[in-house]
Amino acid sequence: MSATTQLPAAPTPPSASSPADDAPRPPQRLRRGALRSERPGVRFAAWATVVVCGGFGLLPVYWLLATSLTPRDQVFAYPPKFFPSAPTLDAFAALASNDQLFGYLRNSVIVSVITAVLSVLVSAYMGYSFSKFRYRGRRSLMYLVLASQMFPQALLLVTLYTVFSAYGLLNTYTALVLSFTTFTLPLCVWMLKGFFDTIPDELIEAARVDGASRLRIIHSIVLPLAAPGLIAAGLFAFVRGWNDFVFALTLAGPEKQTLPPGLVNTFIGEASTAWPELMAASLVVSLPVAIAFIALQKYLVGGLTAGAVKG
Amino acid sequence: MTSSQTHTLEHRKSQTTPRRLSDGQFAVLLLLPGVALLAGVVLYPLIAALVTAFFEQSLVLPGRTFVGVQNLVDVLQGDFLRLLRQTLVFTLGTTILPFVIGFALALALNTRIRGAKVLRGLMLIPWLVPGVVVSFLWMWIFNANYGVMNALLQSIGLIDDPQAWLAQPGTAMGAVILAKTWQSFPWMMVMLLAGLQTVPVELHEAAEMDGAGTVRRFFAITLPHLKGIVGLVLLLEFIWNFQHFDIIYVLTGGGPAGATQTFATAVYETAFQGYDLGKAGALGLLWMVLLMALVVVYVRFSEKGEER
Amino acid sequence: MSLTLPQSALSRRRVLQLLGIGAGTAALAACAPSAPSSTGAAASAAATGGAKTDFAFSSWSFTEEAAAPALEAIVKAYQDQAGVTVDDVSFPYNEYINQLTLQVKGGQFTGAAHVDVAWLGSLAAMGKLQDLAALTDGRGYTDAALAAAQFDGVQYGLPWTIGAIGLVGNSEILQKAGIDPDAFPATIDEFEKSLQDLKALGGGMIPYAASTKAAQLKDILIWMETFGSPLVDGDTVTIGDDASVEAVTWYKSLYDQKLIAADVDRFDARSLFAQGRAAIYDDAPVGRNAVQEESPDKDLGSKLTPLSRPVLKAGDTPRALVWGGAIAVVDGEGAATAADFAQFATSDLDTVLADYEVRGLPPVTTEAQQSDVVAADTFGSLFNERITATSTSNPFWKFTAYSQIETVIAEQVQAVLVGKTDAKAAMQKAGEAAQKLVG
Repeated sequence: MSATTQLPAAPTPPSASSPADDAPRPPQRLRRGALRSERPGVRFAAWATVVVCGGFGLLPVYWLLATSLTPRDQVFAYPPKFFPSAPTLDAFAALASNDQLFGYLRNSVIVSVITAVLSVLVSAYMGYSFSKFRYRGRRSLMYLVLASQMFPQALLLVTLYTVFSAYGLLNTYTALVLSFTTFTLPLCVWMLKGFFDTIPDELIEAARVDGASRLRIIHSIVLPLAAPGLIAAGLFAFVRGWNDFVFALTLAGPEKQTLPPGLVNTFIGEASTAWPELMAASLVVSLPVAIAFIALQKYLVGGLTAGAVKG
Repeated sequence: MTSSQTHTLEHRKSQTTPRRLSDGQFAVLLLLPGVALLAGVVLYPLIAALVTAFFEQSLVLPGRTFVGVQNLVDVLQGDFLRLLRQTLVFTLGTTILPFVIGFALALALNTRIRGAKVLRGLMLIPWLVPGVVVSFLWMWIFNANYGVMNALLQSIGLIDDPQAWLAQPGTAMGAVILAKTWQSFPWMMVMLLAGLQTVPVELHEAAEMDGAGTVRRFFAITLPHLKGIVGLVLLLEFIWNFQHFDIIYVLTGGGPAGATQTFATAVYETAFQGYDLGKAGALGLLWMVLLMALVVVYVRFSEKGEER
Repeated sequence: MSLTLPQSALSRRRVLQLLGIGAGTAALAACAPSAPSSTGAAASAAATGGAKTDFAFSSWSFTEEAAAPALEAIVKAYQDQAGVTVDDVSFPYNEYINQLTLQVKGGQFTGAAHVDVAWLGSLAAMGKLQDLAALTDGRGYTDAALAAAQFDGVQYGLPWTIGAIGLVGNSEILQKAGIDPDAFPATIDEFEKSLQDLKALGGGMIPYAASTKAAQLKDILIWMETFGSPLVDGDTVTIGDDASVEAVTWYKSLYDQKLIAADVDRFDARSLFAQGRAAIYDDAPVGRNAVQEESPDKDLGSKLTPLSRPVLKAGDTPRALVWGGAIAVVDGEGAATAADFAQFATSDLDTVLADYEVRGLPPVTTEAQQSDVVAADTFGSLFNERITATSTSNPFWKFTAYSQIETVIAEQVQAVLVGKTDAKAAMQKAGEAAQKLVG
């Protein structure tokens, strides 16, 4: 963490080359990333890694899929069939008629998207303040933001519940969005601060001389320059809202419940767990997000490259 | 500090047109929304929870009585050390293992092997499957009586009899760590992959011309370049895992015989099963003191490292 | 009560209506006034004192595929009859009590709440549950059912589906091993012998899929009671006594002989049993549907046999743990109507019978228990006779921290099973820890 601030400035991202940065480096854009030529040994090692680690990553996903295709009455057979012998789409068909699930999905999307947007906005302001201004207590505050992650959330929950209850915010999207946004601040603020550090002060200064207001500078100069970083931060915030279980369960109430508690509610009952349906539902809801992430991948990596990662 | 920070805007205040707010005030204004959120959602509940550490307070019964440090004493006299050890094992395990896997994959997928792009995308899936499903998926995989893990290991001859992975003290912690690793290695990979992309190829090419091998270049060029991101992901993962709860709770509930109990599951159990908010608060207080101490040490240590 | 009505004919009609199969509102409206709640109306009117209002009803079953239609039907019938709107609230079963506790404590939830009878004590401790005794008069609840939904002598809930947790066997497998399900071993020694016979069938057979996962190891408590431990005497926890140590030692020996399997909770036990890989397991009536649904053997339903729990020495009364659902009423907005609803849902004969057809859970009124539909259910009747009849409550339920008490005991038992410690030391420790939680 501290490394982010302590280390000599990183090579600047192509989007914001920084003449102000006086770290020694060639002025021209550098090629980064993969080498053009690789030794055969490297290729072999790369493939071996992909097979081993990739297997670890993907086999469970395969099993998720295989289970979702197995009929309910065969799912507990042992030894299990690695390839379902009588694959069925029953579990998926059952999903289509489950309106509740769509409600959970809608709630999840709403909560995660708003969380992402709000988190990016709040973190951008905060990160910008940390990056471009100097004042007493700045460093302490930066670490305090980080420290906010250190407390047992199960305990926060009890008090938060009463607080939100007192303000009539229980069973609303607001309660969820506010909580999730807060929990994403540490990562997003630090990430974006790193990003803003790479934006040359001269650029801001020039705009100032031209008479642009400070807020205007943020909105029309800094944020557009930081777009890849904002997208990356937004994606992380999205996942936080997307994955949470305990807060969503407790604060959202039955109407506004998101997918994680919704899935448990629907498929893990008092008497049995509907494994194929649970797995099918998980696949169906993860897929659009996975596709969106894959599509946005270059921003995710690109945004990080310029921001948090510099060092 | 980065070198650009020597040119802070404050120095040029005089050159800019006069406005109502000073830069300092404006900077604070920018902080406000975030600070308000942190104060409302974390700070206030945190103080409220810490205060309960000094009371006998129940989740269900109204009222509370001041008991001084009794709760802290009770907690310390209980299983505290074992809890601490297990929490550290879990936290370190779930920080290092995903880091190793994520790093290896990032390095591998940063080469020009075919399909690297697609694989990068596919590898994100574990991270995007709703967290609670991750827990259930691994419970399903590890199950002693019908899990696929046993079937797989038996079919390749690594084990003779099905093992109760989650129910043996020797294997439960490992199993839990593995499940958590699966969930978090993708984001480590993404972060590190991003880091790798900042490493200038010229440096590698120049070093290669000088005869430096792959391994040597990795340690001489790649690793130093990634210091920042490595520090960030390790620290964040450590803090997050310290309070990770879901996967342990679903997979083992802290068992067998308390072998996978961590601070996070203990706090939850004390508050929501024992209804004992006082003791849960005391546990939380000790936890925070410990974690902060660890982080301060880490920060000091890494700052010192940077000064060299 | 309208006992003179031709019950079976009516109930069939009501069943269809309640399930919403081609039921017109007109038919329901016509039916409603004749609903046998008229006698109870006096009692409930006394308790409710006035006009009906909208209220909330929470249950974990609203989102469960199998059980939801039954609950929706009850709610719909009541809405049509009372002219109010019932707001349904649902949480996952495992998280339900925590969530309900938070909601009740924060004043977020008022109305009718479906609860497990085990939870009544800790919910009552919050001081927000109504005493429903006035609503029980003349409704035909059995004494045993009423007692199950009481805490400290106060009727905090109206019993809804009261049964017990007992042994359930697969008669086909039992017979294969030469065990007559109708003359099931009476003593623990014979029982162990039978388990060995079952094991000898081979094929990885798990004779008894007893709970061995911490979350469900509280099942051991009934065996401790079988061995003669009272568990609690007044406010003194007796775990650590000889009987409890013997029970755990015995359990451990079953574990070592692989007569019971590792890593099994109730869900696992049901799956194993459904697959024909386990011959006996512990369950409440609620498990029946799940087991049948998960089984490749479509005929499994007819092979299910409730079995009396073996006793220490011949002639002892078999032990069983009370299990069941009740409806409690949380003070506040809509509580009066919620109480009326609770009475309707648990004791209106047609409603109860329609519910029975879907969920198959044991009803709580004499009239319902004696009805043709229920009496014709062999499994249900046998379960009642062999298990529920001698069931008792868990003595720990009266303490608000009962769930954690069960957890600390379960942890120690598990430590014994995995060989980390011996039974005597573990039970001593468990007793001490439990005593601390009792206060």
